[in-house]
Parts: sequence; structure tokens; C-alpha cells
Amino acid sequence: MVTFKQYFRQSATYKIFRAFNHQFVDFVTTLGAIVQNGIMTLKYILMGQVEKKELFDQCVRFGISSLPITLSIVGMTSIIVTSQVAAEMVKQGGGNFVGLLVSILIVREVGAVMSGFAIISMIGSSLASELATMRVTEQIDAITVLKVNPIRYLFVPRVLSGILMMPVLVIIASAFGVVAGAVTTAMTTELGFLAYFDSAWLGIYMKDLSVCMLKAVAFGGTIALISCSCGYQASGGAKGVGLATNKAVVWSLIAIVIWDLIFSIAFFF
Amino acid sequence: MSIKVRNLTKIFDDKKVLDDISFDVADGETLAVVGFSGSGKSTVLKLICGLLEKDDGEIITSEGDVAMVFQYSALFDSLNVADNISFALRERRDLRNKYSEEDLKEIVSNKLELVGLSGIERKFPSELSGGMQKRVSFARAIVTEPKTILYDEPTAGLDPISSTLIEDYIVRLQQETNAASIVVTHQMSTITRTANRLIMLYNGKIVFEGTPEDMLKAENPYTKQFVTASLEGPMHMIS
Repeated sequence: MVTFKQYFRQSATYKIFRAFNHQFVDFVTTLGAIVQNGIMTLKYILMGQVEKKELFDQCVRFGISSLPITLSIVGMTSIIVTSQVAAEMVKQGGGNFVGLLVSILIVREVGAVMSGFAIISMIGSSLASELATMRVTEQIDAITVLKVNPIRYLFVPRVLSGILMMPVLVIIASAFGVVAGAVTTAMTTELGFLAYFDSAWLGIYMKDLSVCMLKAVAFGGTIALISCSCGYQASGGAKGVGLATNKAVVWSLIAIVIWDLIFSIAFFF
Repeated sequence: MSIKVRNLTKIFDDKKVLDDISFDVADGETLAVVGFSGSGKSTVLKLICGLLEKDDGEIITSEGDVAMVFQYSALFDSLNVADNISFALRERRDLRNKYSEEDLKEIVSNKLELVGLSGIERKFPSELSGGMQKRVSFARAIVTEPKTILYDEPTAGLDPISSTLIEDYIVRLQQETNAASIVVTHQMSTITRTANRLIMLYNGKIVFEGTPEDMLKAENPYTKQFVTASLEGPMHMIS
């Protein structure tokens, strides 16, 4: 005779409950690992335990290799926005404010957020798959057995390079975005570069620049930390590497949006 | 006594993978740990080198480093051979300022010579054969002069001639370092050519302990089944 327990275990309700339970446990363990690794990484950074050569290599990887895609994404977003509003603003008599609008949009939001998305796709996914591969091929176990702290060796240079390089990338990408807006305005309206930049300067406030840099630091550190943590927690073979990379990208995207919301509430509400 | 294991127990998901096992390994001795796949052989090594936490029991090793040679070498693919071998000397906080670049070069060269691979310092792991990668991982393992060396299936996936070469180097390292060694394997040639003694694990318990000669001669039903590779006997594949 089938007991209720056996019957329940075969039911769809139980399977759905188990799936949700598994998701919940996975969420909590991932979050816990990110927080724990973040605290350890911060501790080593504050203690100055940073390998300079490795940090330099990671900065090159973070900054140079991701620059083209970051410029492309921010530049194209600027072109899309400007091409849609510039002509309309000129038509409505607001031509003097096109530069101001674009510069506020780029400095406050588009520069940092779009750069963040570009970094997730270029660097975050690569960090996660690199560490996940090291995990499943026992390279991280080998580091541990050789009595080298894997958090200090793997996390510190990667997270620190994110914190250092992201602001640089955001400054370059934002400047590129404002210039792309000027070119688009000149091509779609009769407004000249001079008129555009005259109003663009008015839209750049020190507070906005400071918040933009804070965002960049938070985004860079968070993307690197989440990506390293997801890779570090990987298990299994090729499937494990894929899952870890996927998780790193999803978690990083969500984290960027949450950070952006926090900054907006804190500084612009 | 270099490795002393007492009443070691390890549980994964309510399953006792190791159930109250005890054994010793003396300095200069090589113990083979044999058994079916999934019988807990690699778990023993991971517990000894600290990669896993034990649930119960005691593990005592001599003062000094515990080195491990991983099943698939686990060389750092982003580093060349020289940097792989000198990794611990460069990155460990207690060793990093102890050696100059010249010292490191000499140490790497000596270790490579010991495993018969002189002159490949600048090569990357992906440029080496499986057997060569294994020997580089031997060199990396012994760079800190460990007192305990653990080998996880050192001849798995190698052709018979490469296996023989690896077995020779295990014996050579044992003589050079006088370390207590444990070799996890299920290859008969590795057992008979490298081990002084062996233990056989089944269902988390030690079901045989003796010399390789004892194993070949003994009427123990477990070793008899293992040696003859028979499906008939007290051991059944663990699913």
C-alpha cells in the first residue's frame, strides 16, 4: 500500500517545493560565499597583501581588453538617445539644452551603468569561467595544498583591479559618450559643436561626477567579487563551469541594478 | 611515525564513506590505498592534506609540509613550468622572501633534473604530454621538501610505458626525500612496483592490510577478487 509520504513524494507539489527549496538554499549559500569572500578580500587589501605583478596583469585585463566594447556600448547608447531627442528639442525651441540633457544622462546614469554591463559581459564572465575551470581541474585545491591562500592569490588582485580600473573606464566611456552625442547632434540638427558643448558643461556637476565615480568603484568591485565567488564555488565538470559563469552574469546584473537604485535613492531622491 | 590515522570517519550526505579506519605510514615507507572507484581512497588523501574536514578521528603527520600529486596533475595552466614548480616558494608568505631569483632558478632546474625533464622551464603545461605534466607536478610537490607525499592515482590515464616511468619516479622520490608516502591507485603494477604495504578499502572499512606479496598470495576473498578482477566475490560495485 502506498503511504501518504510516498504518494506526496511522487506528486508535482513536492517536486515544485523541492525545486524552490533547492533554489533558496543555493541563493543563501551563494550570498553567504560572496559576503565571506568579500570580507576576506577587503581584509587582505587593507593589510596591503597585494601581489603587484598580478595586480598589474589584472588591471591590464580589466582596463585595456574591455575598453573597445565599453566605448562601443556607451557611445551607441548616447547616439541612440541623442538622435531621438536632439531634433525634437531643437524643433520645440530647446536646442540650447541638448548638450546639457545628454551630459546629465551620461554622467549620472548611462556611463557607469552601460560600462558595468560591458564589464560583466567581457570581464565578469571570463573571471567566473577562469576560476570555475581552476576549481574543477583541482588547481584551486593545489593552491591550498601548497599553503598559499587562494583568496589572497586569486581574489585580491582581481577585485582590486576592478575597483581601480572601473572609474578610469567610466571616465573615458562617459567622455566618449558626450562626444558621440555632439557628433549625433551636429549630424541630425543645425546645432553646432560650440552650442552643444556650451550647454553640456552646464550639465556636469561636481556632485554628479563624485557619485559617478563612487558608482564605478562599487560596480567594479562588485562585478569582480561576484564573478570570482561564483567561479570559486563551482563544482562538477564542464556543466559546473557553465552554471558558475551563468550565475556570475545574472548575479552581477542584479547587483548593478540594486547598487544603482541605492545610489539614486541616496543622492537624487 | 610520519602519518598516523586513528578512527577516521567521513560522512557525505548521511553515507559513511570512511568508517572508523586506522593505519600508520613510517618515514621512507610507501603505503598503497586500493579499492573500487568510490570506495573513499581519494577522500583519505584529501583529509590528510586538509582539503576536507574529518567528521571524527585523528590524523597526525610529522612536522613539515604535506605535498599532494593530483590525479590530473592540476598544473596552473596560466604559468609556465618554472613558475609552476616555484609557485609555493614565490607565493607562500613564509617562503617568498627567502630565495633570490637565482636560487629559484637553481631549485627549479634541480627538481626538473630529478624528474628527468631538464630544459623545459619555459614551456606551458598545455605543451606537455600527460606523463610529462605528471612529472612536473611531482617536481612542484617536492619543492618545499615535504615530509609527507600523497599521490592520487598517479598512473591513471597513462600508457603502460609512461606508467612504468612514473612508478620509477615515485620510488626515486621516496629514496631521495625519505618522506612517508601514500599512493592511491587501482593499478596492480603501481601497487607491486611502488608500495611497501597496502590497505584495501571497501564500504568505508579496511578489509585487507599487508604487503603486495601478501595480497597476491593471501586467500582473503576481497584481495582475491581485486587481483583476479572478478565480478564474483564479496565486493559489489558501489553505485
